[in-house]
Amino acid sequence: MIVARFPKPDFSSGYEYPDIVHPAPYEQLWNWIDIFLLVALMGVVAWAAHKKHSRAAIVGVSLFSLAYFGFYRSGCVCSVGSIQNVVLALTDSGYQLPLYVLLLFVLPIIFTMIFGRVFCAGVCPLGALQEIVNVRNFRMSRAVTSALSVIPWIYLAFTILYAATRSQFLICKFDPFIGIFRLGGDVGMIVFGVLLLLLSIFVGRPFCRFLCPYGALLSIFGSLSWKKVEVTRKECINCTLCHMACPVDAIRPPYANKVKEDRLAGVKRIVMYAVLLPVVTALCALLIGSGSDALSRAHKDVYLYDLIQQVEANPEMDIPLEVETFNGLGRNVEDLRTEVEAIQHDYKVYSYLIGALIGLVLSVKLIKLSTKRTRKTYEIDDANCLACGKCFNYCPQEIKKK
Amino acid sequence: MSEDLKKSPMDRRKFFRTCGAILAGGSVLGTVGAVASKLKVSGADVFWQIDPFTCTQCGRCETDCILPVSAVKCFHANKVCGYCDLCGGYYRPSVKDLNTAAENLMCPTGAITRKFVEEPYFEYTIDEDLCNGCGKCVKGCTSFGNGSLFLQVQQDLCLKCNECNIAKVCPADAIKRVSQDEAYMLKDHA
Repeated sequence: MIVARFPKPDFSSGYEYPDIVHPAPYEQLWNWIDIFLLVALMGVVAWAAHKKHSRAAIVGVSLFSLAYFGFYRSGCVCSVGSIQNVVLALTDSGYQLPLYVLLLFVLPIIFTMIFGRVFCAGVCPLGALQEIVNVRNFRMSRAVTSALSVIPWIYLAFTILYAATRSQFLICKFDPFIGIFRLGGDVGMIVFGVLLLLLSIFVGRPFCRFLCPYGALLSIFGSLSWKKVEVTRKECINCTLCHMACPVDAIRPPYANKVKEDRLAGVKRIVMYAVLLPVVTALCALLIGSGSDALSRAHKDVYLYDLIQQVEANPEMDIPLEVETFNGLGRNVEDLRTEVEAIQHDYKVYSYLIGALIGLVLSVKLIKLSTKRTRKTYEIDDANCLACGKCFNYCPQEIKKK
Repeated sequence: MSEDLKKSPMDRRKFFRTCGAILAGGSVLGTVGAVASKLKVSGADVFWQIDPFTCTQCGRCETDCILPVSAVKCFHANKVCGYCDLCGGYYRPSVKDLNTAAENLMCPTGAITRKFVEEPYFEYTIDEDLCNGCGKCVKGCTSFGNGSLFLQVQQDLCLKCNECNIAKVCPADAIKRVSQDEAYMLKDHA
């Protein structure tokens, strides 16, 4: 493999080859310290949110996690991004998932199933950053927040598509805060990150609520959690202070359902939903599935094949570096085409799947919006509650206790 | 009796909720279990590294790393080097005078230094602190010499991004995830 154009020199002065040692990678121990701290910090938040009812401890965890996971460890690999590694490991037989990445993915889910979204509260550096800068929160109408809360699911769906087809890691590409943690990086994303941070001064956690795909996943486990976060263990006096304090709009006000629906209308509604759900799911699957060829251009090989076609069609254009390299390495266009066809087949399958996922989420959200439940007191919505503990300090019942 | 009736819908909801939670939790655990059995998990970490034999020295390593100065550096395999005076990696092609004037040298940052060993041999050394990974010398060495200069990701500088920014744009697909024992792909070992 090595072309020896010049023979090995024949030294007569007793010259010896220098011994060059290349610096070893960072110790793997750091990965395990990360895992240990992840568990420890989630434990602290769980204790603070359930037992101690203390916001101060959660802010402390946020600051620590921001400094350690964010700025010191520079953010990679994180739990949010680990979705992609897991998907890649499932679809790419050549990729072995490192155990600590699997733990980064699974541990927050396990904690969420037990204690609610304690990971989001302050252990996640992305959330912690927004939490620290948040001063006021202007409440958006329920229609707006409901519409925006679909975005994380769409983001998640496309993340799965691009990771499963080995095209790119979407979450890493569009991570708005990584440039801030590393004090450098893609200018566009840093500008976007700074804008998001400016927004999060006035609106609680815009990234967590309206973008984060891992948050979307955790919201399911949050609503199933075993121990629920409570504003106070004492009786709620319906003072509305916790509702006003909640940065993520996860505390629902009391509501008297006065709509009296007769039985037949109710049955009709359920039948309609039962029809609507598969129809919307199928429609979305068809919609995304039909665009799979256009989406597949995100894959490097498909893009390369496209470029080669362009050069063939228009020989006068400047030959792009990709095509030049392809020709220089003496690769075969026919082989590339079979590869591209296989990739496009994968894209077709996964596009239908993620289309169905998006459709399912859309219809479930619609159905959820149309159900009305009577609430006598202020209640926490476990799917959206991030266990940040802001409400604790506002509840008069809690203050009285202290 | 009427008290019981009034209370019952809430209890029923609670009952359904618990059943639903158990059902959903169970199915989630089941899926996770099924998925986990398919996962190939390894205790070892992965690193990014350049295969020097597929690298085409396109120059993107210098420009596309997210670090201000790329983590990709030029390495030198002394055992492969011919120790020539007229070095394709040290001098620019078609130089008139073989001296160390900047206009004659290939390296834009002056990271390559050489030391006279004995007639007619020179020992070449790379200063990794100055190297920006542009690969100009590597191209010269690979085209006209033995190919003893080659690009590698210097592992203590690499931030190990979940997806390497250079790998995304590498036209030769030379950057791959490798295991710890392959953290460097050195030419003097090949």
